[in-house]
Amino acid sequence: MVSALHIITAALAAAFLLGLLKEQQRGLAYGITLLTLALMSWISAGWLWTFASTGTAAVEIFTAGTEPPFAINLRIGLAEAALTLLINLVGLLSALALKDTLLALGRRAMAVWLVAVMALSGIVLTRDLFNLFVFFELTVIASAGLVLLSEHAKNDGQALAAGFKYLIVSQFISAFLLIGIIFAYHATGTLNIDDMAAAAPLLGGGAAQAFALAFFLIFIAVVAELKPFPANGWALDIYESAHPAFSALFSAATGAAALFAVDKLLLIGGDAWLPMATGIGIVTFVAANLLALPQTNDRRLLGYSSIAQTGLILAVLGQRDILGEHTLYIAGGLLLSHAIAKAGLYWLSGLIAERGLEAWAALRGQPLLIFAFVSFISMLSGLPPFPGFYAKWELIHLLAGEGRIVLLGLILFGALLEAGYLFRWFGYIMKREAPTEVVDNVAHKFGAVFATLAALAAAWALSLVWGELAGLQFDRFNMLLALPLLFALAFLLLDWLPVWVKNSLAIAGLLAWFYLTYTEYDPLRMIFAVIFLIGGSLTLLASYHEHGRRIGFYPSAMLMFAGLAMLIRATDSFDFFVAWELLTVGSYFLILRGKHSEPHALSYILFSLGGAFLILAGFALATQGAPYFDLAALADLVQPLAPWVFLLLAIGFMTKTAAIGLHIWLPGAHAEAETDVSPMVSGILLKAGLYGLIVLLLTMGRQDFYGVELINAMLWIGALTALIGNLLAIFQEDAKRLLAYSSIGQMGYAMFGLALMNHLGWLMALMFVINHYVYKSMLFLSVGGVAKRTGTRQMYRMGGLITLMPLSFIATLIGIIAVSGVPPLSGFGGRWIFYNAILTAEARLPMILIFLAGPIAFLYLFRLIYTIFLGQLKDEFRRVKEAPFWIVLPQMIYVAILLVVAVVPGLVLRHVDAYLNHFFPNGGLIWEGTTITSQFGYWNPVAIMIIVGVIFMTLFAWLLFVNRRAQKVKQFNIVFSAERPFRPETTHFAWNFFAPYRKALGFLTLPLVTLFWSTMTDLLHTAGDLARRFYTGNGQTYAFHLLAFVVIVYLFGMGVRP
Amino acid sequence: MSFDWMKIPYALLTVFIVFNYGLLLGAFIQKIGARAGRRYGIPVWQNYVDLIKNYGQRTSITHGVMFYLGPVFRLTGGIGLLLFVPTIYGSYMFSNLSFAGDLILALYFVFFGTLGMALGAGESGHPHAAIGITRGLSQVSVAELPFALAVFAVALQYQTLSVTDIVAAQQGGVLNWTLFTNPLAVAAAMLAFLGSMMRPPFDVVIAPQEIPIGPPTEYHSAYLALMQTNRAIFPVAKMVIYMNLFFGGATSWPEFAVKVFLLYLFSAFVGVCFPRFRVEQSIRWFLIWAVPLGVQAILWV
Repeated sequence: MVSALHIITAALAAAFLLGLLKEQQRGLAYGITLLTLALMSWISAGWLWTFASTGTAAVEIFTAGTEPPFAINLRIGLAEAALTLLINLVGLLSALALKDTLLALGRRAMAVWLVAVMALSGIVLTRDLFNLFVFFELTVIASAGLVLLSEHAKNDGQALAAGFKYLIVSQFISAFLLIGIIFAYHATGTLNIDDMAAAAPLLGGGAAQAFALAFFLIFIAVVAELKPFPANGWALDIYESAHPAFSALFSAATGAAALFAVDKLLLIGGDAWLPMATGIGIVTFVAANLLALPQTNDRRLLGYSSIAQTGLILAVLGQRDILGEHTLYIAGGLLLSHAIAKAGLYWLSGLIAERGLEAWAALRGQPLLIFAFVSFISMLSGLPPFPGFYAKWELIHLLAGEGRIVLLGLILFGALLEAGYLFRWFGYIMKREAPTEVVDNVAHKFGAVFATLAALAAAWALSLVWGELAGLQFDRFNMLLALPLLFALAFLLLDWLPVWVKNSLAIAGLLAWFYLTYTEYDPLRMIFAVIFLIGGSLTLLASYHEHGRRIGFYPSAMLMFAGLAMLIRATDSFDFFVAWELLTVGSYFLILRGKHSEPHALSYILFSLGGAFLILAGFALATQGAPYFDLAALADLVQPLAPWVFLLLAIGFMTKTAAIGLHIWLPGAHAEAETDVSPMVSGILLKAGLYGLIVLLLTMGRQDFYGVELINAMLWIGALTALIGNLLAIFQEDAKRLLAYSSIGQMGYAMFGLALMNHLGWLMALMFVINHYVYKSMLFLSVGGVAKRTGTRQMYRMGGLITLMPLSFIATLIGIIAVSGVPPLSGFGGRWIFYNAILTAEARLPMILIFLAGPIAFLYLFRLIYTIFLGQLKDEFRRVKEAPFWIVLPQMIYVAILLVVAVVPGLVLRHVDAYLNHFFPNGGLIWEGTTITSQFGYWNPVAIMIIVGVIFMTLFAWLLFVNRRAQKVKQFNIVFSAERPFRPETTHFAWNFFAPYRKALGFLTLPLVTLFWSTMTDLLHTAGDLARRFYTGNGQTYAFHLLAFVVIVYLFGMGVRP
Repeated sequence: MSFDWMKIPYALLTVFIVFNYGLLLGAFIQKIGARAGRRYGIPVWQNYVDLIKNYGQRTSITHGVMFYLGPVFRLTGGIGLLLFVPTIYGSYMFSNLSFAGDLILALYFVFFGTLGMALGAGESGHPHAAIGITRGLSQVSVAELPFALAVFAVALQYQTLSVTDIVAAQQGGVLNWTLFTNPLAVAAAMLAFLGSMMRPPFDVVIAPQEIPIGPPTEYHSAYLALMQTNRAIFPVAKMVIYMNLFFGGATSWPEFAVKVFLLYLFSAFVGVCFPRFRVEQSIRWFLIWAVPLGVQAILWV
């Protein structure tokens, strides 16, 4: 094994060697630089492999052959090896990305580059305090020089100013550090970190106080290198103005090295200094994310994000007293995620010509680079399967276990802010107009592309490693290797195939998975399994309609289905949460595919992630420190914890079912999605939220929260959601929005049923689950098909399409009859069970809302079918054809299903009814022949169907007989107001269809919730924007910030000490 | 509750009786309304004349399939509603086809005819039809609310959804009627009743002056005849439900005739006394006056 010392010597030697070369031999010099960096990486990699595979202890390296304190010693262990590998690799890849600049500037720039990387490795390796100072100084000087690299290309003085400001601030930092080291040495008599750590606690009296002050100076100096809020204006200017390849190094490597230095210092300071680290870290994390919100410059935004991530890791280091041996796993996961993602993003930014966030739309048309971008932002947001996800999971659990709730809340809040601006950015990439200069010929930027792809590979490799580690730690299977997830990821590799092949594969995959697993589900889960898997493949039939390759659709869709498939099989909290995140992310990408869905997809992902964080917090509270728990164990929770857990989980799940207050994402997301995506996200995805609620209620049931029965609150929320959803639906002009609001209402019904907490309430909710899947998928497809043919979703622009699109009409007709609950179709069963269920309910008042909501459904349903299919046909649609075959086919299958379920509801419900007896033994139904009897009433679907059918057919035959000479007339053969109409536009009564209703009850539809949430986001943005003005760009101001920071931290940290 | 074939002729007999009674009753109420307005009014057999005339018309047109089916839906709704509820309490002959379902079936089946009719009228492409339908739907969505609350209250009171059982519980004297045992529910339901009878102040749906007769505006000949048939059967079927739920049901046809007549008269009485509401006015009226009664009914039951 090559000594780690040679990481440093190799760089120094090469830097000297470069000086010996001629100025013209730039190619050679560049080659030497790369080779040296590769050699340094290889040495680190070798050590990392040794430590990881054999688990040997850290190795001490004695320079000058003697032990400390007579000589400086270095140490390499697992963490050091990993960090130096990270630093050297980032150095190498950045050097590749910097090729043009380095070749233009020559050997001096390369030597400085080598010294910078070497110094960073030195910071990681050294165990000597003064040596640490030296390496920091080297870093500062080298960095200040390297900031100027971009000056070569731009020459606008910005980088020069940034470098100069950096130097000013560094002088302060160096002064603190040096003074601190002198006094610390004076107090303890050693410069060796480990010796000092051993000596410090033994100090007494005045020496101890003096040492504390000295240590404060050292500590604050090194922390200042982490760019803490607010003393970080200088760093932001660097991020903004420097060459992105240097920023990659500055963010990933410098940050990592400085964090490791803080970690070493905390060894000396001991536990007393941990709160200070936590405090600085978390303030920086939240503030930097807040400040990032209003940013429009990509590199500055990334700078804020870097600072935030560093703050988070500092906070984690400050929690080592409770994290213990997990610190390395958590901090490492966060750090590597941050470093790789940030380096990757900076390298990517080197490919983008302009600095606005919208300019990144240039990436469109480069699926691989977009995939890289997505991977990086997912990594930063802590989504599975990336290391940050495991780290966050464990961190939150340990914090919750120790009751550090405020910190937990702040971390999740900051993470949500960060996800907010990152995903907003992704929305820009996918949806904004691409600038003229697109990233088409990437050959000349080979270095940056290569570096980005290397980071991408590293990201996924690390995911595998962290999954494996999590597996070893908790004795479980690597989540990344779960079959559904692998299947979904495989579509990334298969994306070059034509749609019909991929679609067939996807359908086959869903069905095969159902075949493999169907024996595992109890009747309750079976309902969801059938909807998710069989239902999913049915919906996918519509996707055959698409042509070409449809890049990106299948990985997203299958990711969602993988999440759904894993969700119903999950038995413990970890699996459940992973599945939840996967389906959220997958569906986000699906929704984002719609033409105008950018803002809606963003609000979807934000609400979903917010909900997911609440679920995470709920799980973490419930486990009380354990890494995960069996979902069934939720039942064992007791006061005072249980209601809190219930509340967090319930609100989390309700974001998915779009309960009132949390519903504003749904209409846009469902309406703007593509034709075959709408039924997926509406008919299928919404059920995930209900499934969550079912799991929650089955285990936790009734909870009392400060005197409020939470089930009752849910009853009200369900009823209110049903009412407001339906009410809003009737005022929509856009057919898909109407259906989307209707979904909100329907989910309200289902939630209401669950909250009744009795046998029939649950049966009704499950019936709604099934029915809603069938008819909402059908209606979305039908309306989508019409919109495809007519080119509009505005209902008033359509009309009279019944003769041109008869099959779509039939589907819609059957659909609305089923939704409205009119016998003899299947919706009636739901209503009947509902009435029986409420007769045993405890609360009666919420029924008022539900009773009002019911008839309102008729209003929007009639509007849907009338304004599209009936009334007057418009001239421009006279040649419209029936919807495409593949969109009509699933509709016809749904029609058949609805008819079958209408006649024999027992086919499905009987088993569920019997199964529900386990949980609610009283009040089940009696199934006798074709009659279904409850405690209160009875109902015979077959008889109803026959009676209605016979009466209908008899009367129809009679009418046919007496009316046999009826003559079909043309469209305008009606007379009103003494004239014959000729313009369908003025004759089709469709726009503002329920105007009187708006007059009477329109006040209920004021967008109060939207107003609330938009005020919230506005407030956050305004706060970020105000705080941003803090950074004036003036070097003196920045120096003052630093001083103020030191004083404030001193007063907070030391001032209160005796 | 089981089926045997004899139920079919019995059911047809019920339909026949109710059909004729409905035709006569409709004309009679019309006449009372006319007299209240100091007019002479139509002869009581006028409905028969109209019906025969309409069936006999030699020309007829159609606007399409749904237009054709609209009246069929409408009349199926009326007959079905009548047959799903027992007409005469205690009589096997006139228990009709109530074995198929309980009160909830009847309540939801009301919408079957309405929906089909609305679709048929919609296909005619006549804007007056559509305007009438939006008005009707808007109004009924709120008018149904107090009725639903009343039904809920009654079901809670008797702990059953079976119409027969509800009537059985009211036997043994006038004071056992829901009218006296649960007056709030009945009050709420009777106000809702006004909203569904197509008489002033809630007849803006068919507003004869501004949107000539509303939804059925394009219907004529045999279509109209079917709808007239329904207009005889449907209100009676609805009043049978009211009678059963709130007024002790009927044990014989004369009792049936009297109770239905009085119920019909109630709506006609209110109708001649009050002018017509606009839709938003009637929505507010139901929410302000009828719904609170219903709410109190479900709370105090």
